[in-house]
Amino acid sequence: MSRETPITSAGSLSRPAWRGWSLFAILAGWLILFVVLPTLILLVYSFFRGGNGEVEPAFTFANYAKCFRAPYPAVFGWSLAYAALTTALCALIGYPVAFYIGRSSPARRNRLLMLIMIPFATSFLIRTYAWMTLLSHDGLVMYLLRVTHLIPLIFPENLQLLYTNGSVLIVLVYSYLPFMILPIYGSVEKLDESLIEAAADLGAGPFRAFTGVIFPLTLPGVAAGALMVFVPAVAMFAVTTLMSGGNIRLIGDEIEFQCLEGGNLPFGSALGMILLAMFVLSFFLFMRRGAGAKADMMR
Amino acid sequence: MKHLLAGWTYAVMAFLYLPIVLLAVYSFNNSPLSILWSGFTLRWYAVVWHDSLLIGAIENSLLIATAATVISVILGTLAAWLLYRYKFPGTAATYTLLVTPMIIPEVIMGVSLMLFFRAIGMELGFVTVIIAHVTFCFPFVMAAVQARLAGLDPAMEEAAMDLGATPARAFFRVILPYLTPGIIAGAMLAFTLSLDEFVVTYFTYDARSMTLPVRIYTAIHGAGARPALNAVSTLFIVATAILVVASDAIRRKPKQ
Amino acid sequence: MKIFRPLILLILPALAILGCDRSKSTAAAKSRLQLFAFSSYIPQEAIDGFTRETGIPIDYEVYPTNEAMLQKLSANPDHYDVIQPSDYMVEHLVARHMLAPLDPHQLPHLENILGEFRGLPFDPGNQFSVPYMAGTVGIVVNSDKIKAPIRGYKDVFQEKYKGRIVVVDDPREMVTWALETAGIPINDVTPQTLARVKPTLVEWVKLKNIYNSDDPKPPLLSDDRDLGVIYCGDAAALWQENHKFKYVLPAEGAHRFIDNLCIPAGSKHKAEAMAFIDYILRPEVSKMISDKFPYTNPNGAARKLLSKDQLDNPASYPPGSAKLEIFRAIGKASVDLQDMMSEIRHAD
Repeated sequence: MSRETPITSAGSLSRPAWRGWSLFAILAGWLILFVVLPTLILLVYSFFRGGNGEVEPAFTFANYAKCFRAPYPAVFGWSLAYAALTTALCALIGYPVAFYIGRSSPARRNRLLMLIMIPFATSFLIRTYAWMTLLSHDGLVMYLLRVTHLIPLIFPENLQLLYTNGSVLIVLVYSYLPFMILPIYGSVEKLDESLIEAAADLGAGPFRAFTGVIFPLTLPGVAAGALMVFVPAVAMFAVTTLMSGGNIRLIGDEIEFQCLEGGNLPFGSALGMILLAMFVLSFFLFMRRGAGAKADMMR
Repeated sequence: MKHLLAGWTYAVMAFLYLPIVLLAVYSFNNSPLSILWSGFTLRWYAVVWHDSLLIGAIENSLLIATAATVISVILGTLAAWLLYRYKFPGTAATYTLLVTPMIIPEVIMGVSLMLFFRAIGMELGFVTVIIAHVTFCFPFVMAAVQARLAGLDPAMEEAAMDLGATPARAFFRVILPYLTPGIIAGAMLAFTLSLDEFVVTYFTYDARSMTLPVRIYTAIHGAGARPALNAVSTLFIVATAILVVASDAIRRKPKQ
Repeated sequence: MKIFRPLILLILPALAILGCDRSKSTAAAKSRLQLFAFSSYIPQEAIDGFTRETGIPIDYEVYPTNEAMLQKLSANPDHYDVIQPSDYMVEHLVARHMLAPLDPHQLPHLENILGEFRGLPFDPGNQFSVPYMAGTVGIVVNSDKIKAPIRGYKDVFQEKYKGRIVVVDDPREMVTWALETAGIPINDVTPQTLARVKPTLVEWVKLKNIYNSDDPKPPLLSDDRDLGVIYCGDAAALWQENHKFKYVLPAEGAHRFIDNLCIPAGSKHKAEAMAFIDYILRPEVSKMISDKFPYTNPNGAARKLLSKDQLDNPASYPPGSAKLEIFRAIGKASVDLQDMMSEIRHAD
């Protein structure tokens, strides 16, 4: 009755019948209503004249011109850099954890997953404040360093832990770690034990088995994790300003400032649109190339 | 090797819990400002207990997060499956659009949604907050499910259909159970995201639907007093822990 | 059987939404006062007291900053009944006809407000606003760590205090201090005056300060920082914690801020809103607010009810604070100001 055929080989996706289309319509409808239309509204705003809490409906490129003047290009650059570094660190730290959880017994697996998520059940602002307390001059870390005599043996008394680039990264990684761990776990959990055994049977040592068989199979999870960390991290705000004492302000902070305290919604929108455009373009091109490569493989 | 991995995992856990434990400990600290310990007290919990606005906010947060997570799971799984299963024209464009809510700065999404809801005459409140939360949560669920789908054996669906199942039944009986770990991972992410969301919520809420982050962020920003933040956070973590453990227990029951 | 589980999951959110909608419709029957203010800035006891006395329930919606308030108010002009804008925001709202005039006959307790807080430049005649709480921005010094006298901005922003200063994170504030140091009136913000104070600000920013408007207290308490320029409310809290934190109004000049209660022009419950504002003006209610927030209380009758400790707090009631400037709306100049500060702050 249905014209749909199951997938019989990789790459041969079937054309959707009415069922597929109607489901797709729900999805598309949601996206258009709550993503496309609102974004279009602000796109229009970005061409208005703003400032001092007012919005003047005049058509101008002034906001976009300002985005390309100092200091904003550098701010964009630093945001990408911090996001990339955070992603890399999360991957390095999170992969072993996800691997261990994925290969554990179902009971332990569930316990560990829950344990990972529970600390994130509170406002990230609160968690950030907790880190500020930990790293402050009379906080726990300094206390431990003094008690173990690492201060003054290795570190000076006026060691600055908080309000540094390092403290910003610590909290960034802390905030995004679960977003890396969970997708990788999803990939690891479905690893077919027989594949690993087969590799061993063919004479591969544990290291080769990992790099040749296991890691490539978990790559989709790593890719998903990288996406879920890098993309939101670029627009990150508040954590950076808090942990750096306001000395590091990235593009997310700047946009938030312009739209709220700065009273310049049009300029904030312009900055946001550029961020969006940067991402949309690179992602779209990446997907096109990915699809092209796949098609090449089919030949 | 296994021991190394275990050790690393528990070290990371310690890292994750360190600030939380600190929060819990300080929630009993008698001094509101100082980091120095000045005596054990329960007064912050008393403050929270008497702050009906705060308790209402906690309830709202949990309610909204649950609703948003459920809808996000449906939409996200749908999106992941549709993109995997069918060849729609403009896959790259669709996928890009689906991932866009992840990148939009929260303030942009918040203001634009507020203006949009106003334009279509929808009153701000629970519904608008949930819609907003779902919109930025479901791409995360989709990504988690997609990672899981990447390893799906195409023969599974074919086998089910050979045995006479319709595509829908094949999906629910065969594919969905396989996807479950990915869905759960996505659901956890969505729940956390929703609980923590301030900026978008600020622009789409009304007094009756105030959430905990809104209460906390605005309290810290403004001139007002801090509503016993450590106590609130500790309570919230405990509440969520109970919720998570309970839902896990329920999930396991029908396995007989 | 397996089908039922997803169904149950679908019912949950539906119930949630239905449950909330029902409460909304019964609420619409009675008139509820929509209060839109800074979080916790109006004590719950005051709100409950008003509801007990008048039977009018209050919905308390909160915002983090004046600008965030303006965003939501502009988009929903008929939703709110009482708002809490600061000085320059009142002027801004009045210019846009967004405030309803207050009827002095319905505000018998208005006379409690001290003369120095009446007829202020942003609302001469108190036509649209009633002062709620006032304060200053000034210098706080950890007198245990710093023995040298600190009398003004020049004393604070010295090379020797590099990395030891905390300031509020408001571009307009810092520019104001630079203007005061240069002897320029604080509301005289033009490209020329901005250019004149730019070198000073560049020097100040080089000192690696902490910028935090929300909570500048922790770095001072933990000895990460020793002095700063912060809001008096935070300074007063520090004083209460430890008298080593001294508060000084800068010699070059200081300014005060006033938070006010106003009624939006689109409000649907103006009479009830006025009743609420008058209720806040009662001395015992105002005292309740002072107990929670050690700012400068503009209510003379309430001040008589305060304790000696409260009145002695140098941050709450600094000597010589009567003749201070107040922020006025500076219009489009604020964009130039922010651009300049943005450039200076990011230059590293």
